[in-house]
Amino acid sequence: MLRIRWSLICPAHPPFGKKQLPSIPKNAVPITKAASPASSTESANGTHASYGPFYLEYSLLAEFTLVIKQRLPGIYVQPSYRSTLMWFGVIFIRHGLYQDGVFKFTVYIPDNFPDGDCPRVIFDTPVFHPLVDSVSGELDVRRAFTKWRRNHNHIWQVLMYARTIFYKINTMDPLNPEAVVLYDKDFQLFKSKVVDSVKLCNSHLFDQPKIDDPFAISFSPWNPAVHEEAKDKMFAYKRLHKDYNKGPLVSGLSWVKPGSTQPFSKEDIPLQT
Amino acid sequence: MTSMVVNGKRGGQSLVLKGVDPETCMIVFKNHWAQVVKILEKHDPLRSNVGGLGGGHGLGGGGGLASFRFGAIPGDEASAVQNYVEHMLFLLMEEECGQNGAMGPILEFVVMENVLERLFIWSLRREFTDDMKLEQLKMYEMLIGQAKQPLLHHKPVLKPLMMLLSSCSGSPSGPSSSAVETELVLLLNQLCCVLAKDPSVLELFFHTSEDQGAANFLIFSLLIPFIHREGSVGQQARDALLLIMALSAENQVVAKHIAENTYFCPVLATGLSGLYSSLPTKLDVPSEEWHCLHREDWQQLPALVQFLNSLEFCNAVIQVAHPSIRDQLVGYIHNGFLVPVLAPALHKLTLEEVMTTTAYLDLFIRSVSEPALLHTLLSFILLHRHDNVHILDTLVSRINTPFQLGTVSLALFRTLIGLHCEDVMLQLVFKYLIPCNHMMLSQRRVLRERDCYSVSAAKLLALTPSCCSPEVIPPPLRQLDSILWSKGTDGSHIGTMESKEVLSEEDDCGNSCVIGSEIYLDVSYLDYLCDAQNSISHCIRACCVWSAPYDGENPPPEEYQRSTLEEADLTATPGLLELEWDDSYDACPTQPHPEEDQETRPIPDEPPKHIQELRRTAVMIVKGSYIEESEFQNDVMVYDLVAQKDAHDSGNGYHAPSKPTEPAKQEVLDGPVTDQKTANSESLMSNGLSSPLDEMDSKKRGSQSEHKSLEGEDLMAQYEELIRTLGAQHSSPAKADGELKSPTVLMDDEEDEIDFNSFSPETPETEKLPSPFGTKPRSGSRGHAVPFTGPFLSVLLSRLENMPSNSLHVNLLLTGILAQLAAYPQPLLRSFLLNTNMVFQPSVRSLYQVLASVKNQIEQWSANNKDFPELLTAAQHSLLARESSLRDSQNGDWFHGSEADRIKKNPTIQPKTVVPLNETEVYATVLFTEFLKELAAFAQEHSILSYPPTEQ
Repeated sequence: MLRIRWSLICPAHPPFGKKQLPSIPKNAVPITKAASPASSTESANGTHASYGPFYLEYSLLAEFTLVIKQRLPGIYVQPSYRSTLMWFGVIFIRHGLYQDGVFKFTVYIPDNFPDGDCPRVIFDTPVFHPLVDSVSGELDVRRAFTKWRRNHNHIWQVLMYARTIFYKINTMDPLNPEAVVLYDKDFQLFKSKVVDSVKLCNSHLFDQPKIDDPFAISFSPWNPAVHEEAKDKMFAYKRLHKDYNKGPLVSGLSWVKPGSTQPFSKEDIPLQT
Repeated sequence: MTSMVVNGKRGGQSLVLKGVDPETCMIVFKNHWAQVVKILEKHDPLRSNVGGLGGGHGLGGGGGLASFRFGAIPGDEASAVQNYVEHMLFLLMEEECGQNGAMGPILEFVVMENVLERLFIWSLRREFTDDMKLEQLKMYEMLIGQAKQPLLHHKPVLKPLMMLLSSCSGSPSGPSSSAVETELVLLLNQLCCVLAKDPSVLELFFHTSEDQGAANFLIFSLLIPFIHREGSVGQQARDALLLIMALSAENQVVAKHIAENTYFCPVLATGLSGLYSSLPTKLDVPSEEWHCLHREDWQQLPALVQFLNSLEFCNAVIQVAHPSIRDQLVGYIHNGFLVPVLAPALHKLTLEEVMTTTAYLDLFIRSVSEPALLHTLLSFILLHRHDNVHILDTLVSRINTPFQLGTVSLALFRTLIGLHCEDVMLQLVFKYLIPCNHMMLSQRRVLRERDCYSVSAAKLLALTPSCCSPEVIPPPLRQLDSILWSKGTDGSHIGTMESKEVLSEEDDCGNSCVIGSEIYLDVSYLDYLCDAQNSISHCIRACCVWSAPYDGENPPPEEYQRSTLEEADLTATPGLLELEWDDSYDACPTQPHPEEDQETRPIPDEPPKHIQELRRTAVMIVKGSYIEESEFQNDVMVYDLVAQKDAHDSGNGYHAPSKPTEPAKQEVLDGPVTDQKTANSESLMSNGLSSPLDEMDSKKRGSQSEHKSLEGEDLMAQYEELIRTLGAQHSSPAKADGELKSPTVLMDDEEDEIDFNSFSPETPETEKLPSPFGTKPRSGSRGHAVPFTGPFLSVLLSRLENMPSNSLHVNLLLTGILAQLAAYPQPLLRSFLLNTNMVFQPSVRSLYQVLASVKNQIEQWSANNKDFPELLTAAQHSLLARESSLRDSQNGDWFHGSEADRIKKNPTIQPKTVVPLNETEVYATVLFTEFLKELAAFAQEHSILSYPPTEQ
C-alpha cells in the first residue's frame, strides 16, 4: 500500500518522458514465518516497534513531497522500489563548465533518518570535480551539512547542493586534489578534463542501471514506437489532471463570499422571498 | 380494403395494413366519415327534429339534462359512430407524412373537415359521462402516442384536445373519477413528452388556450393538483411536470408564466407542510442504538415515503427549472415549510417529538442533493432564529443531552459535516478558530507546518493503553504480520531472489511489505492509512470551492477577532465565557433580571430567558470538558433527580454520594437546593424544548415559574421513572460504591433513553488523579476574548472524555465525527486536532489531552479488573464479527438492527463469548485503541497529502 503511494506521487513529475516505467510489481511480500514477534522487536516501546517503520516511511514520503514542491531545475529523483531509503536521480547541467552533462546518481539515506548522518550522494560515473571522489563517485555532502538537523535540513537541499557544485566550483578541502591543482594551475586542462568527463558520463547514459531495481532510472535511444506515446501522455497529463480535479468528485459547498467570514454572504444566492 | 383485418377491440387495436395504397385508405376514411356525419347530423339539434326515434333506445342510466335537451341517442347509432371512428383513427395514425413534411391526405381531410372537433361536440352532445371522457382521452392518447406524423401543430387537432382537457379539469360537476384522472394524467404526460421533444409545439399550446379563454398553458395547470398524489398517478404527473420544468430553463415565456401566473411553487412548498403534518410525531425507536432513519426505517412509513417523494420532486425541479422558478420555490420552501412548520417542530414539548423531528431533518438533508435546496435547508439551520436562538445553537446544545436525542443530534451533525460545506464548518468550528485565540501567540507561525517526521502520529499511538499494546495482546483475527523492512543499501543481489519468493507466497496476505531486516508491524494500520488517504484527498477536492484556506492567515485572525466578538455577542458565546471566566462570576447570578433585559433591549438582542438557558448549558458544556469538573453536568442531573425524588418520596433517604467538588457546583447553581429543580428543568428547556405557552405568548414571560412547572411535566415523568430505577438501585447507599456500573446497566434495560453513564462513582477518583497532560485550567482574570474553540468542539471532546462509560454506538458516532473532522485539510482545524506539539492556551482543551485522559481512565480500570484481558479479546472478536457482517450486508452505515442478530447470522466468525454491550469500558478500550490508529493515520497522511502534487 505504501508502495502504491510512490506510484501515485511519481507520475506528477515523471522523471523522463523517454522511459517507460515497469508495471508496478505487486508490493506485497508476505513472509509466513512462525518466528516469535518478541525476538525481532528491538525497542521496549511497543507502539514504536510496531509503527516505527511507518514513521520512517512517511518521513521519507514527506521529504519526497518537499522535493516535488521545490521544483528543482534540472534534477529528477525517484525512490527505489525496494527501499525508500535509496533514491535514484539524474542532473541535467544546462550551462557553465559542465554544460550538457547528464549525471546519474543515487541518494542513500541513513535508516535512522532524520536523526542520523546526512544522506550520501554517489554519482554512477565519477565526475571530474573537486568535490567528487574520483574512484567511488561520492559527492562530499558533509561539507555542506556538517550535522544533519531534523526540521532544518531536508533532502531537497542536498539535491540542490549537488546541482550547485557544477555551477560554482569550490576548491576547499577537495575530495579530488588533482582537479583542484588543475583548476588553480592549468584551467585550460581542467576545462578539457571536464569536457572529457562530461563526454564519458554521457557515453554511459544508455548503460543498464547500476542497481537492478524496477524504479531505477534508465535511458535508451529515442524510439518512437516506445516513447512517442509516453511523451504525448506526459504533455497531456497536466490537462487531464486538472479536469480530474474539476470532475464530479468535487462535492463541497460554499456560499461564503471571499474575504468575508459570514455564512451565506455570497450575493448570487437564491433570493428568499 | 380486403386485407384490413380487425384483430382486437379498441385500445389494443392492431389492424394490419398490408399493400393497401394510400388512396384506398383515403377512400375508406372518407366513406367512414360520411357515415359518421350522417348520424351526427341526424342528432344535431340545429338541423334535425329533436327527439329522433324516441326514447326506447336510450343509453342505460342516461336521462340527464342533455338527453332532454337534445333527445336521447340510440345505442346502436352511438356504437356505429364508435366503430367508424376507431377505423378512421387507425387510418390516421398509420398515415405517413406527405412529401417534404406536408400533411398526408387523411390528416389534411381531418383538418379541413374539423373532424376531431365535431367528434368532441358529438360526445358532449351525448351525455358527457366519465365513460365518454375516458373514450375521448384514450382516443387522443392513442393518436398522439402512435401517429406517424405530427398532429399537434394543427389547430383543428389541438383545439378539441384542449377543450377536452379543460372539460376534464375542474369540472363543475365535481371531481372526476379516478379512472378519468389516471387517463388524464397519462395523456398530459404524453403531451409533455411531445413538448420536450418538440418545443415548437409549446407556442401553439399557449395560443390555443387563449382561444379557449382558459388559463394559459392548460396542461401545466391541470398537472398541478397531482403534484403530491401518491402512487403511479402522482409519479406520472411529477415526471410530466419535470419535463415542463426542463423546458422552462430554456424558455423564458414558460418560466415567467409558471412563476407569475401559476400556483406551482406555493402548491409544491406548502404541500410539503401538509405532508409533514401527517408524519408520525413520535417514532417507534427500534433500539437504543438507533440514531437515524435508514432506508429500511422510512420505507415502512408510507407518510414518510410520500413526503420524501415530494421532497425529491422539489429537488428535481430545482435542478432543472429556470432560475426564477427555482428561486421562487426555494423561497416558498423556506417561508412556507421550514420556518412555520419545521422550526416549531424542532422545539416541541417532549424529547421524543424533538428527537423525531431531528431525525427527520437529518433524513431530509441526506435526501437532498441540489445546492440551491441545500442552501435553503442549511441557511435555515445556520441563520434562522427560533425564539431568537439560532437553530444551530439549539442543535449543538442537544448533543449533550443524555437521552437518545443526544445521539440523534450527533447523527445530524455527522451528516452536516459530511457535506463539506464551508458555511456549516465556519459556524460550527472555524468561527472560533480563526482568531487563533486558542493557541499561544508563538504557535501561530507553526500552524501551517507539517509534521514531517510523524511525531504527532507517534505521540497519538503512544497513548495506546498498555493492555492493548501490540506486544501484550495482538488483535485477534488480524495478527501482527511479519514484515520485512528493507534498508535497501545493500540491495541488488538479494533482489532477484526475493522476487521469486514473492511470487510463490504473495496470495496469503496482501498486506505485508518489503525485504530486509524483519520487523513485526500492525498490518491493520495500513488499512487506516489507506482510508485516511482516501478521506483526506476527497475532502481536499471537496474544499476546492471554499473561499479561504483557513490557515491562520486567511482569513486574518486580527480582523476576524473583532467581528467574531461582535457577531458572537448575539449568540451567547461571550456571555458564557464571561460567566465562566469572569472573576465577578461568583457574584453574578446566571439569570439577571430577564424581564428587564427584554424590555429595554432592541429586538436583535436575545430575550434573556433562552439565552441565559443556552449560556447555562454552554457553561456546563465547557465545564464538562475539564477533568476536575467533568462530572459537573451530571451532578446537576443527580441533584435534580434527588430533589425531585425527595419532593415526591420523602420517606426514602437516599442522597447522591457527596463529592468533594461542591464549591464548583454551588458556583453555577447559585442557589439553594430548592431552586435547583427549576434551574435544571430550565437548562434542559434550553435545548429548545419550549412550551406551547412560550410560543403563544412570548411577551408574558413574567409568569415564568408557571411555565416551568408546565414544561417540566413531561420531563418530570421521565425523571420519575429514572428516580424509581435509581432509588431501587441505591436504596442502600453503602452498596453504591461496590456497584459501579449497575445503575447504568439497569437503566439501559428499563429506560433505554437514559444514559447516565457518569453515575459510576469511580470517576471522582479519576478527577483527583494528577493529570500529566491536562494543565489545570485556571480561570484567569481576563473578562473577554477567553480562548474557546466553540461549543461544538467542546461538547464533542467533552463527550469523548466520557468514552469509557459511553455506550458503543455513541462512541462509534463520536469517533466517526472526529475522524470526519480530522480529514479536513484546513491548517486551523488540522493543527487543533492532530498536531500534538501545538501549545494551546491553558483553558483550551485539545483532542490529545482528552485522549490522554481517556487513556488514564482505561489504565485505571484495567488495573482494577482482573478479567479485563479476556473480556478485551472477546470484545475484539465480536466487533470484528460485527464489522464483517456489516460489510457483508453491503451497508455503508454502521449499526442498526440488533447487534446480536447480526452476529448470529454470520456463522463463520461467531465469537465464542459475547461481551454484553453494557460492559462499555471493554468496548470503549477496543474502540479507543483503533481510534488512535485512525487519528495517527490521518496525521501521517496529512503530512504528505496536503501538498497537492500539481500545486502551482
